[in-house]
Formats: sequence, structure tokens, C-alpha cells
Amino acid sequence: MPNTIAVELRDVVKAFGSVVAVDNLSLSIPDGEFFSLLGPSGCGKTTTLRMIAGFEMPTSGEIDIAGEAQGYRPAHRRPVNTVFQHYALFPHMTVYDNVAFGLQMQKVDKSAIARRVAESLDLVQLNGMDKRRPKQLSGGQQQRVALARALINRPKVLLLDEPLGALDLKLRKEMQVELKTLQQEVGITFIYVTHDQEEALTMSDRIAVMDQGRVQQLGVPEDIYERPVSRFVADFIGETNFLHCMVMQTAPRGEVELAGGIRVPVSWIREGISPGSQALLSLRPEKINLFELSDTYPTGPDSAVVHGHVERLVYVGTDTHHTIKLDNGATVIARVQNFHVEEEPWEIGEEVIVQWDAAHARVFRE
Amino acid sequence: MSAARSSSEGRMRARLGPWALVIYGILAFAFLYLPIIIVVIFSFNDSRSTAQWSGFTMRWYQELMGDDQILLSLWNSLFVAVISTLIATVLGTLAALGLERYTFRGKLVVDSAFYLPIIIPDIAMAIMLLIFFNTSGIGFEPWRVSFLGTRLAVPYSVIIGHVAFNIAFVTVVVRARLASMDMTLEEAASDLYANSWQTFRRVTLPILMPGILGGALLAFTLSLDDFVITFFTSGAGFNTLPVRVFGMIKRGVTPEINAISTLMLLASFGLIVFSILSRRRSGSDEEAIQFGL
Ligand SMILES: Nc1ncnc2c1ncn2[C@@H]1O[C@H](COP(=O)(O)OP(=O)(O)OP(=O)(O)O)[C@@H](O)[C@H]1O
Ligand SMILES: [Mg+2]
Repeated sequence: MPNTIAVELRDVVKAFGSVVAVDNLSLSIPDGEFFSLLGPSGCGKTTTLRMIAGFEMPTSGEIDIAGEAQGYRPAHRRPVNTVFQHYALFPHMTVYDNVAFGLQMQKVDKSAIARRVAESLDLVQLNGMDKRRPKQLSGGQQQRVALARALINRPKVLLLDEPLGALDLKLRKEMQVELKTLQQEVGITFIYVTHDQEEALTMSDRIAVMDQGRVQQLGVPEDIYERPVSRFVADFIGETNFLHCMVMQTAPRGEVELAGGIRVPVSWIREGISPGSQALLSLRPEKINLFELSDTYPTGPDSAVVHGHVERLVYVGTDTHHTIKLDNGATVIARVQNFHVEEEPWEIGEEVIVQWDAAHARVFRE
Repeated sequence: MSAARSSSEGRMRARLGPWALVIYGILAFAFLYLPIIIVVIFSFNDSRSTAQWSGFTMRWYQELMGDDQILLSLWNSLFVAVISTLIATVLGTLAALGLERYTFRGKLVVDSAFYLPIIIPDIAMAIMLLIFFNTSGIGFEPWRVSFLGTRLAVPYSVIIGHVAFNIAFVTVVVRARLASMDMTLEEAASDLYANSWQTFRRVTLPILMPGILGGALLAFTLSLDDFVITFFTSGAGFNTLPVRVFGMIKRGVTPEINAISTLMLLASFGLIVFSILSRRRSGSDEEAIQFGL
């Protein structure tokens, strides 16, 4: 199928009294995509999902599903299904009846239902559990029933609201892989709500990072992580160092001045920041290289170099976090991968050359 | 010195504590159950006297079974209880749904009004109903009906009166259940293509059912048990079992009354066992606690 649009939101606003939960949201999600809504608590992720499902009606704006405007169409007439955060399995029904519910409501005939329930339970590896009640299942199993119950209807779009939120870390990781595999198998569009950035990065085709009801950035995981466009996104996704700076020039190449008059090149300056204004330089810890004074280090127009002293070392297995006090008074954290066991560690107080490439330095408003 | 004293005092209290509790327990149970035991024993007493034991007999029970007046009042009681429970359960459940799920103008007033029959004394309610039936012109017209092979004439006013106080109890019990129900279950149903009727029928109602049954059982018991409201709303010549017993007791406590009481005790006991068993079967113990059983 060519890239048709599964779900489209145009200028959607949702206000609860004076609280604007979703503020002028526009999204276009193609068929078969694993799309994540990522953001801190209260940013409007659930509200967005509930409007697509039809549990809430937008205050203004439009929602199309599979090319059809939904208007005020109630939830039971929309071609989407939901996996709820706490699963919302029917406690008085068996696993079989839970999974069969959607088909029964659509008046599918009994033998077809039986066959499809068996297929669905097979898909989520729950064969033989069909006579149990939800209470007699573990958290992970309940979660699979919830998935089977939604997927059996072969919806155009599956909405998932923090479906792994209630699971412990190990099971969560397993289910992430399973969910992703499942999504590729069935080819259904997934709209996935989470506030776990790692989950979003590993599973999604595209991510919308939300804050206060607005999309702050929308892109593939690599974009979101490597090329954040605002302080909020850089801060929310992964770890980063922020350094105060003054913008010296934006063109032909970016350059900023750090405290202590140190000038460094940067690859990207947020639009609208003019030379002479205060700004924030963002730099991921793993993009920083450390050199001893006797080492040769990259120089040239695209290399930033600052001197400092090692203040603290934290060994975390795969790498070591170095807290470096720069000579201009600022502090940065550098993550250095532990390649060799026998390598000499840095000593506290040792002088160090801190270097990074301009490509990794991005400048935002304060 | 004072430390030594207080510690020996403490030891004494520790020794006294359990005994005091045991004695208190025995007294409390005696207070509750002794009268019942006495009634049961004297219902088998082979004498008109209700003070002195003079041998075992079943004759009071046989007399009861032959007493048409008492049997008629029993059927009246059952009929009123069944009909008023059915009506009150339906209306009370609907009221609970309305009050729990919707907000509307004047909700607080309606809400409080529902608790009125629970709070106000029966006698006040009875008088209000009496005045209402008199002035409204509804009167005490009987409903002539054949119930389990017996011809009854039950005033509509009695049934309306019983429904009026039973609704409140059903509503309270069903609302408690509704308040603890996870609302996302209904959303899940509608997400799975169930319209609002199907959602109610397949999800809400089954989950509420223990609450509805609990409310109905409570209503049934209260209705069987009621004297004051029945007495005031029945006009002349209509007897339920409690009203009949009241009439008899004016001429002194008789062994027949003891026998009736024993049978009613047995029936209540049966109801309680039934409700506990059915709740066990339907699942959780929290529910049993919730309805005070
Ligand atoms: N029914 C409602 N009535 C009033 N305010 C609401 C309602 N639902 C949500 N809100 C408000 O809308 C905002 C967004 O809520 P929403 O549930 O969409 O957040 P979320 O991103 O899903 O957060 P979380 O990660 O905590 O689930 C919050 O400020 C919330 O308080
Ligand atoms: Mg949420």
C-alpha cells in the first residue's frame, strides 16, 4: 500500500475549563507507523489518545482516521482499539470472553470468533489460558490479553497508553521487543504513549515530544536525540550538559563565547537568536573527548578545546562518568567508554583537555 | 520504688486483661442471644404458660399451620416484600446510576433527599405517608391478587410505602458498588464496539450485580420486618405477619408467638446463609464485608 495517512489531527485543542490540556496539536501519522507520544506527566498525551479513541471530544480542531473525519462520532463507531494503562480487562469474564468481546459486539458468527480468538491468543503466546479470569493471570499475561483483545478486531490504528507502565523493568524490556515485533508482524499503526524516553527511542519509527499540550519536536529517534531543537527536548531526552554562552556570530558558521572569554564553534543555533544575545550550549556527555596534556588532540576550526581538572569519577560498568571542572568555572560531565580494563584511570585533580566537535554542540534560548 | 510499683501494676493488668475480655465477651453474647434462645425453647413448651417448662411438644407449630389468619398474614408479608423489593431494586439501581454518573442542577438536594428515609424515624415517615394517601385520594384501595394459590387483598398504599423506604437502602448499597467500579471498563467496552446499552448489559450490570443483590436482600428483609409503616398505611383489616403478631401480643405472649418468632429466625438465618454462599460463589470477600455480611 502506498503511504496513506492513518490518523490526522488538525489544530486540535482540548480545554478542561481553564486548563488547556492539548494546545493546537497537528499530527499526521502514516499507515503502519510506530508513532510515540513522549512527554512529562500532565503534558496531554493521554488526552490526545482519548480524543482519537473518541472518549473525549476536541474543544476545536479535527481528527481524521483512515481519511474519514470523525467529528463527534462515539468511541464504539471508530475503527481504532485501545490498550489501557491498567489493561481494563473485564473482571467478570474469562480470557476467552474478554478477547472475543469486540467480535461479539460486531455480530461475527460464533465459529469465526472461536477461530480468531485462538489465533489471537496464539499471537500473544497465551494458548491454553482462555478459561482463566484476569485475576488469575500475572501482570505480563494480563497485558497480553489486553493486546489480544484489541488486535483481534484488526483495527486501523492501535492506541496504547503506557501499556508497559505497570510491569517491572525486566518484563518491560522483554515486552518492548515483543510489542515492536508484533507491530511489524501485523502491520497496524501503533500510537504509543509513554513518558519513558528510552522506551520511545528504542521502539518508535517517529516520536512527538510533547510539553504543556504542544509538540516540541517531531522526528525519528535519532533526530530527537542527536538534534534536539529546544532546551526542553535536549533536557528531557537523555542527559546533556548545558553551558551558558553568548552568541558571537550565526553565519557563515556559528560561534559562541563561553564564560572566561573562550570561543568555540557550534554547528547549530536556534533560529531567531541573534549575535550578542545570551544562550545555552547543549552537549551530550558521550560526545566529549578527554586528553592528557601530553596527548595530541584535534585542532582546527571545527574543534572546541577547553582546559579543566578532573573533579569526580563514577564507574558505571560500560563507561565512567567524569565530572570536569573547566578553567572558566563551569562544570561538565563526560562519559568515557571503558574500552580496556588495564587502561590508566584519570586521577582526581589531574589537569585535562576537554575537546568536542562543533557538530555536537547545539545552541538554544536560555 | 515508683517504677517497681508501676511495673507490678502493669503485670496485674496484663493478667487481668484477657480475663476481663473473656467475661465481657460472654456477657455481650448472653445479652444478644439469651432472649432468642429462651423464645426458641418456649416455642416447644407443652403448656400455655410462658414461664415454666413442662415438656416438649410440636403442637404450637401444628396450630400455626392450621391458623388461617396467621397464614394469610404470612402470605401478605411475603407478597408485599417480593413486590416492593422488585420495584425498589429497579428504581433504586437506576437512581444510583443517575446520582453516581451524572451531574445535574439540584443534584445535592436530590442526593440528600434519598437519605431521608434512612435517617428519619419510621413513625415520622409512616405519618407522612398516611397523610399523603389520605389527602392525595390514593386511599387504601386493595390489589386483589392470587399469590401462591391464596387470594390476597393488599392495599397499594402498603406497597408504595415499602417501596418508598426500600429505594433508599438499595440506592445506598448499589452506589457504594458503583463508586468502586473502574470507569475505564465501560470505556473499554465502548472501545470494543459496544453501544451504551450493550455496555450496560454486558459490563456495568454484571459488575454491579453483587451490589444489586445485596441491596435487594436488604430491602426484602426490611420489608418483611416492617411494622410501623405497614400499620399506618394499610387502612383497616390488612395484616402482615408483624402486624398480626402485634395484634396477638396485646392479649399476652403466647406459645404461638414464640413459634412464629422461631420460624422467622430460621428464615432470616436461611437468608443470611444464602447471601453469604452466593457471594462466596461469585467471588470476593471484600464484597461480603462491603454489605456487612
Ligand atoms: N477530565 C479532566 N478534567 C480536568 N482536567 C483534566 C482532565 N483530564 C486531564 N486533565 C488535565 O489535562 C492535562 C493533561 O492530562 P493528561 O492526562 O493528558 O496528561 P498525560 O500527559 O497523559 O500525563 P501522565 O503522564 O501523567 O499520564 C493535565 O493538566 C490534567 O490535569
Ligand atoms: Mg496519561
